[in-house]
Amino acid sequence: MSDIVVYSAKKIITMDVNRPEATHVAVRNGEVLAVGDARCADQWGTVTHDDSLKDAVLMPGFIEAHAHMMAGAMWEYAYAGFHDRIDPDGKLWPGLTDIDAVIGGLSDYAQGLDDDAPLVGWGFDPIFLKTERLSKKHLDQISTTKPIAILYSNLHLMCVNSVALEMAGFDHTTNAEGVIKGPDGTPTGELQEMAAMFPVMRRLNIDFRGLSQKETSIRAYADVSRRAGVTTVTDLYSEMEEEDVATMLRVTGEDSYPLRIVPALGAMSGPKAIADKAEALAKRSTDKLRLGAVKLMTDGAIQGWTARIKSPGYVGGQPNGIWNTPPEVIFQLVEELNSRGIQMHIHVNGDEAAEVALNAIEAALRKHPWMGHRHVLQHCQMMGRDLFTRAADMGLCCNIFANHIYYFGDQHVAMTIGVDRAERMDGARSAIDAGVNIAIHSDAPVTPMAPLFTAWCAVNRQTTSGRTLGHAQQITVQEALFAITLGAAYTLKLDREIGSIQTGKRADFTVLGDDPTKVDPMALKDVPVLGTVFGGRVHLL
Amino acid sequence: MKPRLPLAVVSGYLGAGKTTLINRLLSEPHGLRLLVMVNDFGAINIDADLLAEAGDDTMTLTNGCVCCTMGADLYMAIGDVLDRDTRPDYLVIEASGIADPARIAQVAMAEPDLVYGGIATVVDGQTYASLVADPLIGAQIERQTSVADLVLISKLDHPDPALTLRLGVQSRAAVVDLAERNALAPLLFGGAPRTIPMVKGQAHAPYVTWSSSSPIQLDHEALLAKLNTRPAGLFRFKGFVAGPSGRGWEVHCVGPAVSVKPISQAQGTKVVGIGLEGQINPEQIENWWLD
Ligand SMILES: [Zn+2]
Repeated sequence: MSDIVVYSAKKIITMDVNRPEATHVAVRNGEVLAVGDARCADQWGTVTHDDSLKDAVLMPGFIEAHAHMMAGAMWEYAYAGFHDRIDPDGKLWPGLTDIDAVIGGLSDYAQGLDDDAPLVGWGFDPIFLKTERLSKKHLDQISTTKPIAILYSNLHLMCVNSVALEMAGFDHTTNAEGVIKGPDGTPTGELQEMAAMFPVMRRLNIDFRGLSQKETSIRAYADVSRRAGVTTVTDLYSEMEEEDVATMLRVTGEDSYPLRIVPALGAMSGPKAIADKAEALAKRSTDKLRLGAVKLMTDGAIQGWTARIKSPGYVGGQPNGIWNTPPEVIFQLVEELNSRGIQMHIHVNGDEAAEVALNAIEAALRKHPWMGHRHVLQHCQMMGRDLFTRAADMGLCCNIFANHIYYFGDQHVAMTIGVDRAERMDGARSAIDAGVNIAIHSDAPVTPMAPLFTAWCAVNRQTTSGRTLGHAQQITVQEALFAITLGAAYTLKLDREIGSIQTGKRADFTVLGDDPTKVDPMALKDVPVLGTVFGGRVHLL
Repeated sequence: MKPRLPLAVVSGYLGAGKTTLINRLLSEPHGLRLLVMVNDFGAINIDADLLAEAGDDTMTLTNGCVCCTMGADLYMAIGDVLDRDTRPDYLVIEASGIADPARIAQVAMAEPDLVYGGIATVVDGQTYASLVADPLIGAQIERQTSVADLVLISKLDHPDPALTLRLGVQSRAAVVDLAERNALAPLLFGGAPRTIPMVKGQAHAPYVTWSSSSPIQLDHEALLAKLNTRPAGLFRFKGFVAGPSGRGWEVHCVGPAVSVKPISQAQGTKVVGIGLEGQINPEQIENWWLD
């Protein structure tokens, strides 16, 4: 058998302008050897033809340029969210859209648990609860003997049943801010913020550290990614303890592991220490584990009123948000990392945070000019044309949180920044027109990883309620597909190797059941993902 | 059952002098085994010799979490300390320069195995006025003092009465200039811990201490009502209070904060109080408690 395999497909969308479409791709040693028709690789020698993908549409392997490894591991717990979701094993978890569905769904789940195991749920979103809040009285209907804790999708709230309250010692005498009490003076079961959630988490053995470090999490991440057609994924705030690096190198190093991970080291210590660590990590990079970038935090989240936003502020008059890194430290970190030639991913939700980050980068680049740094602003939710233009001037990339429009758009109109600013938020059109290289992302597990859904959001800008939020910021299907392939590859400095199907690049493909360029743009999210090809190996679902 | 672990939070903006304060605490002869948890940017400057000498311990933490939505690591680390076979006598958390210390300290109110040791916020006397006027970071810095139980002014050669007054108005905390104190442990950790004798004979230690053992029994409501009328100037009040039917309460008051947690077997009522000299005397505390 020859070491050249020529795959046939119904259509290959290459994202390479030189040959935008093809029917065959030849692969040798995990690399694309030729693209074209059935005879494209004939001049290279004997080939083997493989028609197993002949009815599928191939695209370059999708790239999720902002997600977190926790996305895979959350599935250790019961999903209790409003929207349908598919777990790493391919099981559909139907959305729980009213309180009876929540009680029924979780009761079914509880049947499958060991007697002494707690029931832990995640992803709960109370948008259907108009007049009351989820309370112990609902959860006690599921069990009065087994402790139950249901985490809200925003991860800031939890509701627990009476057994769990008792385990944590919460009763009418408890006076902790986040332990909510009802008119009768006893805790309702709702716990707000970590300080109040911690006593329950501790007693139910819910440990979020383990979620992103265990071997099973690394494997689950690959499953989640494969289902979404993703062949390269980020893990954008990683602690990178020595033990974690060793485990990641071992697991990703297996031939059958179908994913390339690009972790960004969290900037959680001083500038010099973090730069030293990033440099040391960069030397240990492998094909499937690309180390060396750093993630900086700046502000919080708009939906939690913790993003730093410019005048006129939040529509409800809430105080401006908070800095998770003080501005003066942002300047120090940016200067040091830029001077050392280390690529940065900088979290900016609010427009004030984006401006501070841009100011810091401008100052750093004046001291240490660097052509081709490709530092990336992440989320970029409130940047207007002016800030995108500054980003373009400095050669910055912008990775835009397109999924936010669908999941939080209605909330932003009603409660956070009001309709006019919501209509221009996550403004991919302005960014592209200003000349910025963009990617678009899910921030999984905050929203589900599914690049075609993310593309659908950027193209249609439809919210959960069905409203179109800002026609002017819509982008074309072609632009959106670019953003989840070559555009995303560019932000990771991997465009030489991935992002398009062309000779010399990695043979990473997404296998689709339909042609995303031919379906109605409103159906983009429904194009079935059949699996991936990673380095020439086929991984169908 | 292991004794509850008291938790104090030391907060303050970058450069305010949090680490200097902790090094000072480590060097004082308070006889407590401290565990210092540091959650900040930059190099850790806790004096290793001081730690080693006292058999104390330190842990450094990061802010690692999904987009900082939870800050779970800090709490998980607290869980690890609680699970140790032998708990330290006191847990001191050095919060990051922009952290809201109340969010951290609330865990001591909620967690049954912790007791509330209070929030001490260090303020750089030279830069505070300009920092809180900063349009970017000012409000966040101001919050650190407004939620404090104790505000410690650092870096002034001479006390600044105007600043002291301003901080006193802005927060409900006791405001103390660090230069005026030579013993800080009583302020941070209270008077007499369970097993360790009160440090006596400190030159010029400007504190008033008081303790009481009595057959008083109070139920939860009555205890809270009592605590609500405690005299101003009683900065710390703590101990065990017997309740009805053999049960009882562990009480910790720091500045304006009150924490009451149940204990299953009360062994009489034993409490201690500490205040700042000039603001209160032992008779006033005694009169209030036995009234
Ligand atoms: Zn993120």
